[in-house]
Amino acid sequence: MAFTIETAVGSACADLSHRLGIDRGEIETVSAAEHEFANGALGAPTRGEMAAMMLTSGWKIRLRAAGEIYEYRADLDQLRLHNFRGENYVIK
Amino acid sequence: MNRNNIWIHLTLACLLIVTAAIAGQIERWRSALKQTGVVSRTSVSASHVPDISDKHRSPELIVKFAPNIGIEQIRSVAAAHNDAVVDEIESVRGLMVIDDLDDNDAEADAKEYSSIPGVVYAQPNYRIYLNEPSSPFQLKDLKYRDPAIAGAPNDPYFKEQWALHNLGIDGGTSRADIDAVRAWSRSHGSSDVVVGVIDSGVDLTHEDLRSNNWVRPDNLAPYHDDELGTFDDLYGFNSADKYADPTDDNGHGTHCAGIIGAEGDNGVGVAGVNWHVKILPVKYLNASGTGDTSAAIEAINYLIARKKDGVNIRIINASWGSNEPSPALKDAIQAAGDAGILFVAAAGNDGVSNDDIPHYPSNFDLPNIVSVAAVDRNDRLTTFSNFGARSVHIAAPGKDILSTWPGSTYRTISGTSMAAPFVSGVAALIAAQEPNISVRNLRAKLLNSVDKVSDLKGKVSTGGRICAAKAVGLRD
Repeated sequence: MAFTIETAVGSACADLSHRLGIDRGEIETVSAAEHEFANGALGAPTRGEMAAMMLTSGWKIRLRAAGEIYEYRADLDQLRLHNFRGENYVIK
Repeated sequence: MNRNNIWIHLTLACLLIVTAAIAGQIERWRSALKQTGVVSRTSVSASHVPDISDKHRSPELIVKFAPNIGIEQIRSVAAAHNDAVVDEIESVRGLMVIDDLDDNDAEADAKEYSSIPGVVYAQPNYRIYLNEPSSPFQLKDLKYRDPAIAGAPNDPYFKEQWALHNLGIDGGTSRADIDAVRAWSRSHGSSDVVVGVIDSGVDLTHEDLRSNNWVRPDNLAPYHDDELGTFDDLYGFNSADKYADPTDDNGHGTHCAGIIGAEGDNGVGVAGVNWHVKILPVKYLNASGTGDTSAAIEAINYLIARKKDGVNIRIINASWGSNEPSPALKDAIQAAGDAGILFVAAAGNDGVSNDDIPHYPSNFDLPNIVSVAAVDRNDRLTTFSNFGARSVHIAAPGKDILSTWPGSTYRTISGTSMAAPFVSGVAALIAAQEPNISVRNLRAKLLNSVDKVSDLKGKVSTGGRICAAKAVGLRD
């Protein structure tokens, strides 16, 4: 099912909660806004991943937990975690 | 009532009946005639009724002169009224079309002519114009129809394809384009030239692509890989999922394919750089537009194998990349070069210098690679495009590019992904003209076929944007 900005934020919060081992209530949505990314990997390719070089519209989601900011990137088809401890991850 | 009276009454009754019947029929005929008149008026829908407003009335008259008045005499009459005979309607003796050179009111002129001895009648001749449509495309349409664009295709969206022929509208600059129309005076491409599009696949049924999609010839066996097995690659290959269907589930590959070779002058959609070419799609990018390096390598491997099987693959278009170098990918591309295949790669969309932050595969230092940056409709390097005086070779249009999209639709998108296929397309035009050109010479010819652009000086090694007209041997 295609993401909306709301479902993308929900999935991002769920992932971060699981990843950090904290309650959802401890996660604050700092911002969730439309963004144009550089490529099909939303500017967050994983290792060994190639991406189509077309500008891709989606959403940049910034979450705060335990004093840290975490950035998720989403479009209709995918959700990625950008630069989490030096790595990018494909969440869905 | 005697018998005679009965007959008289019967006769009168019959007469009355017949009279009534005739009267009824006459009424029906009259009614029918009225009805016909109504129908004939209302059957002309409002949208087809020409607008005859005053501003559209031409000061012309249709005047019928008596048969005994000769043409010279008529010309004299017209001249005396500062008018001129512009046409003689030969099928009706004495009937003339007269132009009122004073641009007076036609009704008044007609009255004036009617009073002249020897004039049978005079009436205004209304030149009828349809109301001009208020479509926002009207201005572009008129420019598109400018006779200066001789050789332009009849594809209805061609006027939107600034990259092929920039009309200088929508904030663009005239001639900030690849000069495709002039190039087409030399070549529209060739179905003998095959371009491998390693991407997200291609919409195989797209109305504007299907006749330019590669189909495996009857005399070519299905693709066999010792490890992967045999694939009925009738229309291409899917190296990500290892099956034969290269159908596009993203759109990116279909867009690139259309830039290279949407069928031109077919009255449908857009025109590709090549009106005729064969697109051989190898799908390795998924629905999100990403793919594994290994699948990219497998895709190149497939095309090299098919080249060795006799398929005339001259160019691979690679509108994708990453910042991660892969020696295996480099080797695969080198092998493609050894097999006689040019590899055209997008420079990347991070707006940085590839001299400092390499982008692959465009940065591989190989003799068959062409790295492509993106310019906009004013020949300016786009803000998103990577560049590099040493590592990026050439620029091509890459912003707001209209091309094919799955479902027989069309879409405008941006990226160096769009720039690369313009260069691949021009390479295919050259290959169509010079079937035996080597990869080395093909690359050299491409890089020597640029319009020097001030904004690209120091940004790409050639300092220019690809020019299709120069590539096929035309000069400015």
